[in-house]
Amino acid sequence: MAKSLWMEDAVTLHELFVAGEVRATDIVEHHLERLNARDPVIRAFLHVAAEQARAQAAVQDRWSPAERAERPLSGVPVAIKDNIVTETMPTTAASRILQNFYAPYNATVVDKLYEAGAIVIGKTNLDEFAMGSSTEHSAFYPTRNPWALDRVPGGSSGGSAAAVAAGMVPLALGSDTGGSIRQPSAYCGIIGMKPTYGRVSRYGLIAFASSLDQIGPMARRVRDLRALYDVIAGPDPRDATSLPDTTDATPLSRPWRIGVPREYFGEGLDPEIRHVLDRHLSQLRAEGHEIRDISLPHTRFAIAAYYLIAPAEASSNLSRYDGIRYGFRRESRDLVTLYEATRDEGFGPEVKRRILLGTHALSSGYYDAYYLTAQKVRTLIRRDFDDAFHTVDFVVTPTTPEVAFRLGERSDDPLTMYLGDIYTVTANLAGLPAISLPVGWAHGLPVGVQWLAKPLADHQLLEAAEALEGLLPPVRFPEEVEG
Amino acid sequence: MGLSDQEILHVARLARLRLTTAELPGIRRDLNRVLDYVSQLQALDLADIPPTMHVVNMEMPLRDDVVAPSLSVEEATKNAPQVEAGMFKVPRIVESEGGGDDG
Repeated sequence: MAKSLWMEDAVTLHELFVAGEVRATDIVEHHLERLNARDPVIRAFLHVAAEQARAQAAVQDRWSPAERAERPLSGVPVAIKDNIVTETMPTTAASRILQNFYAPYNATVVDKLYEAGAIVIGKTNLDEFAMGSSTEHSAFYPTRNPWALDRVPGGSSGGSAAAVAAGMVPLALGSDTGGSIRQPSAYCGIIGMKPTYGRVSRYGLIAFASSLDQIGPMARRVRDLRALYDVIAGPDPRDATSLPDTTDATPLSRPWRIGVPREYFGEGLDPEIRHVLDRHLSQLRAEGHEIRDISLPHTRFAIAAYYLIAPAEASSNLSRYDGIRYGFRRESRDLVTLYEATRDEGFGPEVKRRILLGTHALSSGYYDAYYLTAQKVRTLIRRDFDDAFHTVDFVVTPTTPEVAFRLGERSDDPLTMYLGDIYTVTANLAGLPAISLPVGWAHGLPVGVQWLAKPLADHQLLEAAEALEGLLPPVRFPEEVEG
Repeated sequence: MGLSDQEILHVARLARLRLTTAELPGIRRDLNRVLDYVSQLQALDLADIPPTMHVVNMEMPLRDDVVAPSLSVEEATKNAPQVEAGMFKVPRIVESEGGGDDG
């Protein structure tokens, strides 16, 4: 069958559009057609902005070749995770408390997308307020894994991952607080990156855990990922934690020194995933790179530290949802009853669990034992990585200990769900850039390999990912393996 | 040593969440499993370890103190459930003391 436009990667679509070989209108129509065929089952989107996308495409079709060329994503359809605010589309964070909320402004990354000519197709599903690893905690409906419809796409950026994997869009934005870009990217067989903390503005990202949250790109090809990263990265006066433009331009010299931390290959790792990772490491060795056994000894404390810090910060951030200034309100006689009734009806069970846990961890008499202790453990985890990056350029690990699990399999067991984040939370705790790449298959499902670099080495990480893309299996679409 | 129902209800009140008696056993089980798991951190000697308050060492940036455009009152209140005269409307906060007017 002839290659349809929805199968093309983002950079190719942009180039075809600049060359005048295809119209933006055709690109958008092909992707909407694909979305309409697949999304009734996969349910990656919470909101599809078909008319806005068509209008944007029609405007771009009148642009001159020069106007098309100066905008690096002109003609390219993009999806946005629904915890990133948009002025012309609703933003719900997959929560009832924000149902029908229209932000009065765009997130900085959204403004940057429009300036770069990206055509925004819609808003994607997530676990409510990005709290979860399966997208089953969406208040509206779960998203399904395009590779196995009875399995989860991962989370919390599960809608973005599924949309990219299924060919509904070539690019999407996600957010990553403990692995929420990388884990669904691994489960859905795509590429996802969490940049260095502060590299991408968080202005307009609905806050979950402010010391950990980071927006990042998701794609099927590394050069697409890089194109999107280049558009969204950079300082923003509206985000005081955004980093100054201190690009580390040190060129990457070969061979690379690659650290393999033994703590990430121990008990709990599916042997088939281990096998896929071993083959990846052998290929790297055959390419002339140096593989070193390293230790990150405090890894085993990472989940405990993360599940104190993230809920503590979340409990504080989510105190703003009180039914007064925006969102859902349950009318009541007095103010306290109004707050409680609004929050009781507006939040789902996982969000309530985390608010309770975090409120307890910050409450009088417990702060030192919980939040402060966890922040000290975070220092130990950072030091582990600092030490490692004295002797290696990259650290390579599995992205997840297991492949995508079945819908419903873990929804009654929060702790088991949390433990699945073991390989991804450390990058957030230490602020490091990390990428998950689709490296192979286990049990017929995608497997991700995670590459981590030192803080600010985002460019080196992208350069490495681009160089090793040739070692990865070719891009496929789910139905090619279905029958 | 886990949290009792009484303690959980106290935390819920601090967080302005209402828990029903039906929800309580499940919440207690889930919270206590997580608290039991995180208690492993108590085994570490952290006396000389500073906490991480920011992952990237940087100075607090200060913007120039100049007036810049901001949201209009209309835009800022457009999502509010109840607005009156450009203000967010809430139920009465102070109890009236017999016979006063509504203001």
